[in-house]
Amino acid sequence: MENSTKSIGKGIDRIDGILKITGKATYATDYPAKNMAYAVLFKSTIAAGQITKIDSTEAEKYPGVIKVITHENAPRLNTKGGLRGGALLQGPEIIFHGQHIGIVVAETFEQATAAAHLIKVEYNQKAEKTNFEKLAETPTMPKGKELADQVRGAGKSAMKTAEVTVEELYETPIEHHHPMEPHATMAMWEGDKLTLYNGSQIINGAQTAAAATLNMKPEQVRIISPFIGGGFGSKGGQWANLVLTAVAAKMVNRPVKLALTRQQMFNSVGLRQRNMQKLSIGATKEGKLVALAHEIISHTAINDEYIEPCGDCTKIMYDVPNSLITYRVVPMNIILPTYTRGPGKSTGSFALESAMDELAYKLKMDPIELRIKNEPPKDPSNGKPWSSRTTVKCLQEGAKAFGWDKRKAEPGTNKIGDDLIGYGVACGTYPARQRDSSAIIKLTLKNKVVHAKVEIAASDLGTGTNTILAQTAADGLGLPVNQITVKLGDSDLPPAAGSVGSVGASSFANAVNDACIKITDELLAKSGKQFFVRPTAAQLMISESFTDFQTRSDSKAPAEAEKYSAHSFNANFAEVRVNSITGMVKVTRFLAVTGAGKILNPKTARSQIIGGNVWGIGMALTEESVIDPRYGNFATRSFADYHVPTNLDIGNLDAMFINEEDLIPNKMGVKGIGEVGIVGVAAAVANAVFNATGKRVRSLPITPDKLL
Amino acid sequence: MKPFQFISATNPGDAVARLTKNPEAAFLGGGTNLLDLMKEHVSLPNEIIDIGNLSLKEIKATATGFHLGALAKNTETANHPLIRKHLPLLSKAILAGASAQIRNMATNGGNLLQRTRCSYFYDISMPCNKRVPGSGCAALEGFNRMHAIFGWSEQCVAVYPSDMAIALSALNATVKVKTSVAERLIPFKDFHLLPGNHPEKDNSLAHGELITGIEIPNNSLAAHSAYVKVRDRNSYAFALVSVAAGLSLNGNLIQSAHLAMGGVAHKPWRALQAEDFLKGKPATIANFTKAAELEMASAKALPNNRFKIEMGRKTLINALQLAFKG
Ligand SMILES: Cc1cc2nc3c(=O)[nH]c(=O)nc-3n(C[C@H](O)[C@H](O)[C@H](O)COP(=O)(O)OP(=O)(O)OC[C@H]3O[C@@H](n4cnc5c(N)ncnc54)[C@H](O)[C@@H]3O)c2cc1C
Ligand code: SF4
Repeated sequence: MENSTKSIGKGIDRIDGILKITGKATYATDYPAKNMAYAVLFKSTIAAGQITKIDSTEAEKYPGVIKVITHENAPRLNTKGGLRGGALLQGPEIIFHGQHIGIVVAETFEQATAAAHLIKVEYNQKAEKTNFEKLAETPTMPKGKELADQVRGAGKSAMKTAEVTVEELYETPIEHHHPMEPHATMAMWEGDKLTLYNGSQIINGAQTAAAATLNMKPEQVRIISPFIGGGFGSKGGQWANLVLTAVAAKMVNRPVKLALTRQQMFNSVGLRQRNMQKLSIGATKEGKLVALAHEIISHTAINDEYIEPCGDCTKIMYDVPNSLITYRVVPMNIILPTYTRGPGKSTGSFALESAMDELAYKLKMDPIELRIKNEPPKDPSNGKPWSSRTTVKCLQEGAKAFGWDKRKAEPGTNKIGDDLIGYGVACGTYPARQRDSSAIIKLTLKNKVVHAKVEIAASDLGTGTNTILAQTAADGLGLPVNQITVKLGDSDLPPAAGSVGSVGASSFANAVNDACIKITDELLAKSGKQFFVRPTAAQLMISESFTDFQTRSDSKAPAEAEKYSAHSFNANFAEVRVNSITGMVKVTRFLAVTGAGKILNPKTARSQIIGGNVWGIGMALTEESVIDPRYGNFATRSFADYHVPTNLDIGNLDAMFINEEDLIPNKMGVKGIGEVGIVGVAAAVANAVFNATGKRVRSLPITPDKLL
Repeated sequence: MKPFQFISATNPGDAVARLTKNPEAAFLGGGTNLLDLMKEHVSLPNEIIDIGNLSLKEIKATATGFHLGALAKNTETANHPLIRKHLPLLSKAILAGASAQIRNMATNGGNLLQRTRCSYFYDISMPCNKRVPGSGCAALEGFNRMHAIFGWSEQCVAVYPSDMAIALSALNATVKVKTSVAERLIPFKDFHLLPGNHPEKDNSLAHGELITGIEIPNNSLAAHSAYVKVRDRNSYAFALVSVAAGLSLNGNLIQSAHLAMGGVAHKPWRALQAEDFLKGKPATIANFTKAAELEMASAKALPNNRFKIEMGRKTLINALQLAFKG
């Protein structure tokens, strides 16, 4: 009885689904404003040097043009305000190809675009640092403390004591986020108050960064972002386009819209950096690991550092007494890399889980058995106990569901016609954390019906945050979901964490849940009555005829959580078919089994996981951005060159969740699924390709030429 | 994008007259290529002449073969019962190209005239002899994985991207063209050009000329033809290498082989050496292999596309085998 009325755990449809499919959901550029002007960015065509002259005379004369803004007339901004990637028109310096060097504002987008082509720019070009292979020969130490060398036991020197070893170099290329909704902003000034309509994964982060950059107070800036068309990390930290829209609006004294083109998305909002990863594993003949080393070289921007933590999985996945993780970096004339789905873990797990697979073949051991044999009883990186760890369960339940026993251990022996069939497995993990978030609940009683409004400056990337918060409030207040309204995506609401690093669901849901508990307590106190069975907030509103009531709660992670190591875990199973003549690969079946604590909504959760799987398959098979080192520009510069996987590349995708209750990381036991869905995916596919063909591809993506 | 006039042509003569008059005008077929090029500032017509209303949409059998209207859509052409039955090679090649949405818009004439996908050609900040004659070829020593292995020059190493045209080449099609004074027929082998010293010229069409149709002679290849396309993903990607193969057989004996390759040259590459070798020989794997090796012997790879030689060899053999099997 009790259970059937609960909403959490049910795969209900998105509460905003109808709005989205009818086009009524408002994204950043969907807001009308009177007297709107349109801004278009123009970009540098060199990678390093200085602008010596910008001639915008022709552009200024062009019909409809209102203003051309360059470093020569842009206002001085605070470049350390927290925006990523620079390019704020503060000087003539050019540090990457495609850096914004100006804005044209016009009556229409088309006029602004046409005028931008009339601007003549002269440069004093410098030798550019754009050749990663060359520069990687002499990398430097990263500045970040968390990226210092991590040595456990005898470190890499223990490789000498191993009976069986794997030492290989794994490479992953530059990738782009390319959310369906390109980055776009609408800026509107009222006196010294600024409103920015802008897809933002971290509402309060966008607010503080924009305010600081514009030398304003946060309360002067309001961010409105109720719907986001995806972000994958690129709308986590904000980029220059956010503030440049505000600058343009100020300078022309009108509301301004600025939307990046798909083309501009390649070099405006960060990227996943290219990584060279040397992975060494030493084991006994029985398959017990004795040494593990992960040595990583990545690139960063000339003026700032971001490095994907590729060693993070390696740190905790296996029980090994001696290990080494090192990061080295080369600053390059390329846009600053940034958080990209499963940052570090997705790319790092490709190296680690490929190497584990290679070791399994060398040992003639089943790769699942090898992993289980090296299961760590506690977190090897810090000695803390696991809050829970589901790797073995994921592997075992997945193996059964996938039919792992049908795998042929000998590579290249499973053939149907011209096609080779292969099975691969790989594991993944992502930390489970809760971050500070606040929520307000407002209850009203009208015609004997209680309605609840939930307010929180959370964000919904398109993943279903709106829906899971409605479900959380429904259960917490004793109401059906359709009597809940969720308001998020507005910096005027109580501050919250962001939809980043898989902290969104746990932080937001716990904040709402805490607010539900608090409001019920307060209503109880207000009633002045004692109840034998604790009534719900909804029941109290009705029985006590309260017409309006509201409360706010500020939530934090439980102090206890610090003493444990808390993570989501997964196991990925891939079946591939490789055409033995053309080398073309199709992932015919893919299964991800995930232990991520409480699953608030299995439907949206499944979508999250299979979405991550698709990108992981793209990472494995198709996605690569190439820089021409002579110019520093991308030679892959549209979706005709930058290939994301299509329906024909992927057959059946399936997601399973481990039934897990882990209340240590947070009260609700929610661990987060956004990131882990991509971790281990590329390795599972690459391992399956090896099983199919006997060819080990260590440099992604696995395109047909690599399998000839 | 640059502002432009938009005019709808009322008949083929009107279309030709208008284009002839204005050296900066362009015809609009389905627009799937032209519009992209305009958005990228690669093509800058000041007048767009929409030919979508012209009645050049027929697909029919003729006394000597088949006629494809220049403005019939790719989808319609590929799915036409006549084409499926008598020219399955063409149908398969069209369906191997682009996406369903693009094929629904793309016209047969526009398809023949689609421009290279060389990314430097599309990037106006880069040198490119095809876009700006004399500016240099950025691809020659740049990222040239997708580029040519046959017939390229130091001036341009781009490849021609159409799939449909590869089949048409193998089928000995003829392009029917209306000029301001007459009609002319251009054999397919002479329609597209190698880059030589004039990579800015993709084909032998003069400004002002309108493609009205494509003629395909009767053939006996329907039972033994295959189109094999190797690409970086299973749909919606240009060919790394493709092969259109048709065999005219007398029992096991090859009377004539029709072989054209895509993704390897500035034009559909007729594999003439392989064809010559196979003529009159039995259809065996050994002969297919020898023919493929002969053809690929004259290939010249660029730094990033060496793989295309082996891929081309394998794909030729594969396509011949599939065609033979029928
Ligand atoms: C992302 C993407 C992927 C693609 N993948 C493939 C692929 O894998 N394989 C493939 O083959 N193609 C592919 N294409 C290309 C597609 O097939 C072409 O864009 C299409 O065939 C062009 O036809 P259209 O009618 O739209 O041409 P338009 O864009 O209208 O015209 C192209 C050119 O031809 C001229 N023109 C048009 N009709 C005539 C005529 N009757 N007489 C004289 N001139 C004329 C125009 O002026 C213009 O210069 C792809 C395209 C895109 C955008
Ligand atoms: S290959 Fe041809 S199209 Fe490409 S850059 Fe060189 S000249 Fe231009």
